[in-house]
Parts: sequence; C-alpha cells; structure tokens
Amino acid sequence: MKKMLSNKLVIFAFLLPALILFIGILIAPILMSGYYSLHDWDGFTQKTFILFRNYKELFTSNSIGFMKALGNSLLLAAISVAFQLPLALWFALRLGSGIKGERAFLSIYFLPVLISTVVIGQLWLKIYNPDYGLLNQFLRAVGLENWTRIWLGDKKTALLACFIPTVWQYVGYHMLLMYAGVKSVPTELREAAMLDGATTGQVDWHIVIPYIKPVLRVSVIFSVTGSLKSFDLIYVLTNGGPFHSTEVPSTLMISMLFLRNRYGMGSTIAVLLIVLCFAFALLIGLFFKEED
Amino acid sequence: MKKALALLMALCMIVALCACGQAAAPAPTAAPAAAEKPAEAPAAAAPAAAEKTVLNLWCIATESDANHESYVKAIDAFNAAHDDVEIKWEAFENESYKTKVKAAAQAGELPDIFFSWSGAFLGDFANAGAALCLDDYYTPYADQLPEVMLANATYDGHHYAAPLNFNVVTLFANMDLLAQVGYDHIPATYEELTDCCDKLVAAGITPFGCSGKETWCVTEYLEPVIIKTIGAEELGNVFYLKSSWNNPDIATAVSTFQEMVNGGYFDPNGLALGNDEVKANFIAGKYAFYQNGSWNCGEIAGMDANVQVGEFPVMNADNATLGMLIGGPNDCLAVNAASPNAAKAAEAVWEIARDVCHWGTLAGAGLPSWTPDYDTSSINALSNAVAEMVATSNGMVLFGDNAQSANIANIYLDYVSQVYGCAIDGEGFIAGLTADIG
Repeated sequence: MKKMLSNKLVIFAFLLPALILFIGILIAPILMSGYYSLHDWDGFTQKTFILFRNYKELFTSNSIGFMKALGNSLLLAAISVAFQLPLALWFALRLGSGIKGERAFLSIYFLPVLISTVVIGQLWLKIYNPDYGLLNQFLRAVGLENWTRIWLGDKKTALLACFIPTVWQYVGYHMLLMYAGVKSVPTELREAAMLDGATTGQVDWHIVIPYIKPVLRVSVIFSVTGSLKSFDLIYVLTNGGPFHSTEVPSTLMISMLFLRNRYGMGSTIAVLLIVLCFAFALLIGLFFKEED
Repeated sequence: MKKALALLMALCMIVALCACGQAAAPAPTAAPAAAEKPAEAPAAAAPAAAEKTVLNLWCIATESDANHESYVKAIDAFNAAHDDVEIKWEAFENESYKTKVKAAAQAGELPDIFFSWSGAFLGDFANAGAALCLDDYYTPYADQLPEVMLANATYDGHHYAAPLNFNVVTLFANMDLLAQVGYDHIPATYEELTDCCDKLVAAGITPFGCSGKETWCVTEYLEPVIIKTIGAEELGNVFYLKSSWNNPDIATAVSTFQEMVNGGYFDPNGLALGNDEVKANFIAGKYAFYQNGSWNCGEIAGMDANVQVGEFPVMNADNATLGMLIGGPNDCLAVNAASPNAAKAAEAVWEIARDVCHWGTLAGAGLPSWTPDYDTSSINALSNAVAEMVATSNGMVLFGDNAQSANIANIYLDYVSQVYGCAIDGEGFIAGLTADIG
C-alpha cells in the first residue's frame, strides 16, 4: 500500500477525477467568460473580437452604471463587516459560554440561513409594503406616521431596505462558524483566566477572540466576497431599482446578459467579479497575517 | 349581434391598419443572415407507427395569467384531436421568462414551441436561426388568419410565428368613482382629464395606479401621451430608428406626463408595487383609472363597479388624433428550428395559436388576430368597447419595449423609469436617448 501511494502516477490517477471536475466546473467557465468578455456578442449571432473595449465601456459608461453598482456592493461589504460580523460574534460568544437553551437559540438564529432566499424576499416585501406592511403599520400605530415610507420605492431608502434582510439572513451563518470556534477554546484557558480574576468580557476579548482569529478571517472573507456577489435577495426585492439605486454587479450582469442581449459585457462583469473576490480574499488574508 | 359586428369591424380595421401602418415594415433588426436563407425544419426522425411524438411548449400563461384557461382548453383540445402528437406545456412568470427563453436559446435548449413577443424580441431568434421559418406551414390557415396579422413576426418577408391575441393600451375608468366628482363620462380632453383628476385628489381618491417596479407598466402611460403629442407615424419612426429621439414634442409629452405625476395623480406607493398589486388595487376600487393592456378586459369586467374603457386624450391636435393607439398583434408562438420534431411543431403551432386566440378572445384576454368563426355574443362589454375603439383607429404603433431591439429597448426603459421617478425631465429624456440611441 505504502509503495503504491509513493507512486506518483497512482496519486495522479486518484486525483484525476476531482481535477477534471474542478477544471470543468470552475476553471473552464472562468476562462470561457474571459474569452467572451473580449467580444461584442449578443448571445445569438457571430461574435466580434473587440479586445478590451467592453472593460473600457464598463468603467466609463454612465448608462451601464457599473461603478455605482460596485459602490453599492462595497457598501454592503462594509456594513456586513461593521454590523453583521460583530453581531454574529456577540451571539456566538454568548451561546458559547453555555447559557440555558443554547441549542434552541442556535437553531433559531440559524433558521434564516435554511429558508430559501426567495421566501425571505417575499417575507420582507410584505414587511416593507407601503400599504399594509408591518413596518409602516407599526410606525402608524405608535404615532410616527411621518416616518412611514415607500421603503423599496424610494431611492433614498431602497438600498438600506435591501441591505437589512441581506445582513440579517446571514448573521446565523457567521454565528455558527464562530460558535464552533468558541466551543473549541480549551476550558483550561478560560478557567485559568477566571481564577486570575478576569471578567467574562476580558476572557472573551483577551482569550477567545484571539483564539478564533482563523475563524474570524474566514468569516470576513465570506462576508466580503458574499457581499460582492450578492444577488438573489436584491433581485427579489427591487431587481436593482428604483432607478438603479440598488443595482449591484450581479443584477447588472443578469440585465446585460439576458435583457440587453450583451453577452460580452455580461461576461466582462463576471470576470471582474471573480477578480475582485479573489483580490479581496487575498487582501483580507494578508491583513490577518500581519495582525498575527 | 352588435358585439359580434363590432369585433368583425375591428378585425377589418386591423387588417386595413396593419396593411398601411408601421407594423408592416420589417422589424428594426440587423440584416438577418438566417432570414436570407430561413431555417428549415430538419427531417424528423420517423417515429414508430404507434409512437406518440411529444412536443414541449413554453409560455407565460401562469395560473394568474388572463390566458391560462385559454391554453388549458386549446392544448387539451389539441391532444384529444391528435393521436400521434402530444403537447406538454409549462408556464413561467412574465419577467423571468424573458431571461429563461434567451438563456435556453443560447444553450440550445429551447422547447419545440415557445411563446415570444413579436417585433425585435422574436427578431433576435429569427436572425440567429433559432426560430423556424413558418411560411410553408401558414398556407393552410391563410383563410382564417389575414397575412397582415403576421406583420410584426415577419422578417425579410418570412413569417416566424403564429400570432395569438391582438392587444392595445386601454384606459380603464371606474365610473362609480368618477361619478363622485361629477363625471359621467371618461374625460375627452386633457383639460377635462386634469380637472377630473384634481377633483378626485381633492375628494381623497387616487386617480391613477402604475407599477414602478415593472417599467413596461410606465410605458403603458407614457407612450399614449407621446403618441397623442407627436402622432403615430412619428412615434413609429422613432421606435424603428428612422427618426431621432431629439424631438422637442417628445420632451413636451414627457413633461406633461411628469406634471401628472407631480400633481399627485399617481399613487406614490405604486413605485414599490408590481403590476398585479396595482391591478388588484384598481379592482378593489382604490384608483379611478388604470391604463394597461386590453388583455385585462376579462378580469376587470368582473369588477363590481361600473367600468368603462377609453383612450388617452389628444395632446397636440396638429400631430395626433383620437384613434392613434399603442399595440398590435404582439403575443405569438414560435417553433425551435433545432427541434428534432420541428416539422410537427410547425404544423401544430398554428392550431394551438388559433385555439388560444379563440378562448382568449372569449375570456376577454384580448381581441382576435384570427377571424372568429364562433359565437362571440358572450364576449364581455369592455372587450367589445375596445374592439369598437380599434375599429375607428387610424394609426397603431407596437409597444415600445417590443418594437425596439433588446439593448435599445432596455436603454429606453431605463430612461422611462427615470421619468416616472422624476429623476430627469423631458429635456433630459430626449437628450439622454439621443446620446445613447440616436
């Protein structure tokens, strides 16, 4: 057996199926998107090779509005890192400290992750409905009639209204990642700190959080790249509207590909998304490495 | 009898209009390589004698669609009448269908028969050779379907789809609400319309409802204002890129529409609502007017309130007249050129389209593109009124988002949505479209 595993050919043969899948499912589509992005193509007829003209147009055209869409995604990433992750960490620390009903709370907080995004979108559409929506009804009930809004129809509020359910949905996901990390902290470390007189907050800050830093790094990467790729909930809630105020690169990509028949431009957005996600993952990795 | 007569008159007028109107012009798509040599049906793999050929059909007639029952009846009847062919159909929501059908075409996974909008939308499929040329298969049905009804689905002289119902933009008015402000008729002039709307607003009644979430609904309001300002011929020229968007009269029309929006005539909540919700509000008596396609007649005719139909008043009598309408035979069924059963599908598609049109007409989901050879006395009063309106029409332009090619149509829709949100004014609208389209 040992001899067989030392044979590189055998190792390669075992890895080959996975390699074929990896190339076929991940690498080939990326390369194909890169190829299409260099063409002017409507998805139906002959392609015309135009080199980097799609990239230039993407960054300069006002009618496409890519920079605005990218800005929205980056804002979502910032909000996720600033609010979603701290909230998830707080839940993970509290649940990880062994409170009563730990399992039940864990399931409840994780529930939104399990529900289909389309269902969540429909749920929040009902919450935001200007006529009978829960939010406006509540504001009216407490005498804040002036605060009622057409939440998803007003470009001043639509973006935030989309971000709230997006952030809310994945708090449970990050909480679960962090909870697993918190639970892996050796009990002796906590107890030793407690014996030295450390409060719960000090234990969390000086022992638990540094201990789960690799988990936090993964969470930040998932959160930022997830924000850049965000699509489904925004598509259901506003589809990029009103007046492109909630447009993100993914909704723009779908619009280019299937509504405007600009397959080349859609592929350009896809390539840029891949590059951006990769770059951010590297940057975040570097940031955490320097911290270490 | 009178209703049947009105329908037949409408049909005759449609024939006349289509013959002389813009719709007869070829769709504004690039010179189609495929159309020069139209896709022909591949020789079907001969099935065994007793084997049934299954044809798949995609459409947008979901359970909530006005045409759902028409498809059920038409396809059931087809399957019952043919031992050798069976139609299996699937319906998808309107907006998502546009994405799905294009993605399927690009992946070579179109069903045998697929719903399409005529004009530039179908033009893309025809140009790419994805839709089958149906010239030869039309001949047996020529006496039931006037050839002019195929004009919007004709590219370089070749027919690529079987039309379903004929529809125009229609102004639905809740006369019970209008009566509350002293109106017993639909306002016939713009001055009367604004006076009526002012009185409605003062009485706490919202005059109009329009979905801002689905921009095509905004075009159902804006395009009638534009056509009644610049006239049918000029609007057709603009849509078909024969004239520039840089037309001050279009800017005036857009500003007029925005005056209505800013005047509080539209439900502000409409910005966040879909069309189904807005229509439900109108049916619930929340709005006095609802301007949308005539396919809604059947549904709206079932309202408790007294509803009448009409058209948007003339804005500039120098260019436009009453009877200039937005619409035409737009919905259609096409055949996948790459289907192994393309020949059978091409034979079946006419029969299905004819029967969907038949049942759709009776249900009030539109006017007949096909000559009715059935009892039309049960057709609802609103559809009959629309038929009379069409019968006196003197100029018709296809819906802007269908008349223009996909990229241009979506640029246009972007600007329309900005107009509804008052992000740009009339000048901004024509300046932007002139810069981006021409």
